[in-house]
Amino acid sequence: MSGVTSVVSQFRFDGLRQWAPLGTLVLLVLVVGAAQPSFLEPETLLQLAGDTAVLFILASGVAFSIMLGGIDLSIQSMASLASVIVALTVARLGYGSFVLAIGVGAFAGFLSGVAHVKLRIPSFIATLAMGGVLYSAALVVSHERSITLGVGERDYQTWIAGSLSGVPNVIVIALVVLIFVHILQQHTRFGRYSAAIGAGEPAAYASGVKVNRQKVLAYILSASLAALAGVVLAGRLASGSPTLAAELLLPAIAAVVVGGTAITGGVGSIWRTLIGSLIISVVRVGMTFLGVDIFAQNIVFGAVLIAAVAVTIDRSKIPIVK
Amino acid sequence: MNAPVAQAALALVKVDKRFPGVHALKDVSIDVRRGEVIGLIGENGAGKSTLMKILSGVYQPDRGDILIGGKRSRLANAADAARQGIGMVFQEQSLFPNLTVGENLYLGAEAQFIRFGLMDWSALYDAARRQLDKVSLAIDPRMRADELDFASRQMVELAKALTLEEHAKGDLVILLDEPTSVLERAEIDILFARVRALKSRASFIFVSHRLDEVLELSDRIYVMKDGAVVAELETANAEVQTLHRLMVGRSLQSEYYRESLQASFRNEVVAEAVGLGLADKYRDVDFKLHAGEILGVAGVIGSGREELTRTLAGLAPHDRGRLLVRGREVRLATPAEAVDCGLGYVPRERRVEGLVLFLSVAANITLAALTELTRYGFVDRREERRLAREWVERLQVRTPGIDALCLNLSGGNQQKVVLAKWLTAKAKILILDHPTRGLDVGAKEEVYELARAVTKQGVAIILTSDTLDETIGLSHNVLVMRDGAITHRAGASPGGKPRQVDLIKHMV
Repeated sequence: MSGVTSVVSQFRFDGLRQWAPLGTLVLLVLVVGAAQPSFLEPETLLQLAGDTAVLFILASGVAFSIMLGGIDLSIQSMASLASVIVALTVARLGYGSFVLAIGVGAFAGFLSGVAHVKLRIPSFIATLAMGGVLYSAALVVSHERSITLGVGERDYQTWIAGSLSGVPNVIVIALVVLIFVHILQQHTRFGRYSAAIGAGEPAAYASGVKVNRQKVLAYILSASLAALAGVVLAGRLASGSPTLAAELLLPAIAAVVVGGTAITGGVGSIWRTLIGSLIISVVRVGMTFLGVDIFAQNIVFGAVLIAAVAVTIDRSKIPIVK
Repeated sequence: MNAPVAQAALALVKVDKRFPGVHALKDVSIDVRRGEVIGLIGENGAGKSTLMKILSGVYQPDRGDILIGGKRSRLANAADAARQGIGMVFQEQSLFPNLTVGENLYLGAEAQFIRFGLMDWSALYDAARRQLDKVSLAIDPRMRADELDFASRQMVELAKALTLEEHAKGDLVILLDEPTSVLERAEIDILFARVRALKSRASFIFVSHRLDEVLELSDRIYVMKDGAVVAELETANAEVQTLHRLMVGRSLQSEYYRESLQASFRNEVVAEAVGLGLADKYRDVDFKLHAGEILGVAGVIGSGREELTRTLAGLAPHDRGRLLVRGREVRLATPAEAVDCGLGYVPRERRVEGLVLFLSVAANITLAALTELTRYGFVDRREERRLAREWVERLQVRTPGIDALCLNLSGGNQQKVVLAKWLTAKAKILILDHPTRGLDVGAKEEVYELARAVTKQGVAIILTSDTLDETIGLSHNVLVMRDGAITHRAGASPGGKPRQVDLIKHMV
């Protein structure tokens, strides 16, 4: 399959370095499994996969912006806001509340994207500002509190919280996202243009690629998937809160980068994001086994992010880093 | 060599430098004696800039030695080169416009003015004034650099290079890289007078493609061609014609540009400009471009031809007059619009605007044609790969395969990929912007052959070139521009090619 060959050629380019994420994942699973044999039991692994789903959906969204050489810092606020929207409207709108939440995500992403390309604001500023707006919006509409779903409202959440012959539905949702993103990246113009813009924007522009349009689309996708992550999180926790997805921005970006997507853009795939997300999850579980305070875990993710960025790019080729 | 290298203030001995696909410097040996002005000439791509970058510590030679005052030395970076007495006056001026003249002069060397941890500004400006006196520039060093005119800035750069004599250990060698390209004649006279007066303090390497100026200022001249020094002459024994012949390396051979393949073009007009203009760049440009025609645009820097090229590429939309492409009036606000009109831009910055280096050959070849390759929203990857293979074969792109990254191809093969991209997109008009820049002779000839082949298929070409020789050799018709306007039009049919001198007089 040609998708594989292009991935292989990318791997060949950077040699063994590109296999490091998969190797790391296998090693981590073995280490944690050796320390705690119950970790390797199917139920534990399914549980792990389920716990990874939200992180993976968030990460696959933000990967669109990273692929272009940008970043979307608004994702955790967007996810929290989406959970609040669902909690507030599910009683009235039913399944429509999910559509509303994701629609708000798409609109927020559109605004970030337009601010980025039309006003020529760096993406980290545009999305940082958008994140602030979304966080405040979530605080205001929720009256600064967490909203627990009522019994009747929980019925609408079974597509998220339920399971299909033993497999949690969130895993199915994550798989659908995986396939959707894979097709988008490998089989559409958008995917190719994203890679081209990330790897060499001036050449893509001079070749007639509508760069601005692709960028706006990437931010719409990023925020929509963040909203979906928030919807899924709300379903699993049966509540919505303006801080529900707080603490997820760092692990999501770390997952993308740990998987081997270059923070400078142009190189990346959903498979790398999947491996990166699993690494982050296994590290999280491993730390729990080791008794690391849950609030101290971001110390590890921060360190992992720095290390991964340092390892994934050949720094000597970059004269100036801003 | 006329003098022992050991006595030279600076010498390069058998310096060799390669880049992927380009042998930039081939065993280059040059020596600069104390108090001497060396002229260094050559066409674009001859290796002058690589040589300058090695001397200023930006590049390291692969082989060979750099001798400073007879001692083998290593120039690790620009600061290191400066410490060892090599100063630079750049073509594109390197002063920071938002800093004062004094701050610019001592940028990076402020430590000497620090007293008790604070800057002693009056000491810095006193020292700056002394530096400006050396070049007889009577300005206040507290002025901001952007308040100065070009010529004065050039003098400030010279003064900055001269600050090195206070700390450099040995002799001072100053590289003058195209310092006259933005100056008026009177300003050039002043610059040259200063350089001559400063010969007691320093040696100079003067790089220029204005041969008359090189003859005027230099004591000795090195001629470079295709990465090698092809001649070393005393100025007294040189004249413009000799230098030119040495630089170009051949009396004009018509077959070099495949003139026998130059077919007459068709009657069909594919593009037309009527009174086309862009504020402050060019004006009143009229031309008709026919299917199968190569239209060369000649002119010096500032003639407006570069901007005209970029207008057609959709990178600098015109604001006056009319542009018709295949009968339809257009204003090309973005490259995407130009591509939709059937235009394809082959840029001079091949590695930046021409190719996405970190994508495969196949992805680059189809980048401008993905819309045609899309069925029901999905890119037909089988067809994509078939097309890529076909073009790689037809243009004889030397690559390990269509999945190889363009990064790893040589310059000539990269250029073929750029051309393949536009041929895949079925471009009707190609804009060749310095298409052979940085290519070696063999690759150049392949590009010429390709240009002939596509025009035979009815593709029209607008050409701006590094050398007038190439423009004349390839084109059916030549437009000469000066100061933003067309000053001359010449037919260039095979056997009836205009002479360079006849065009040059309309350029300057």
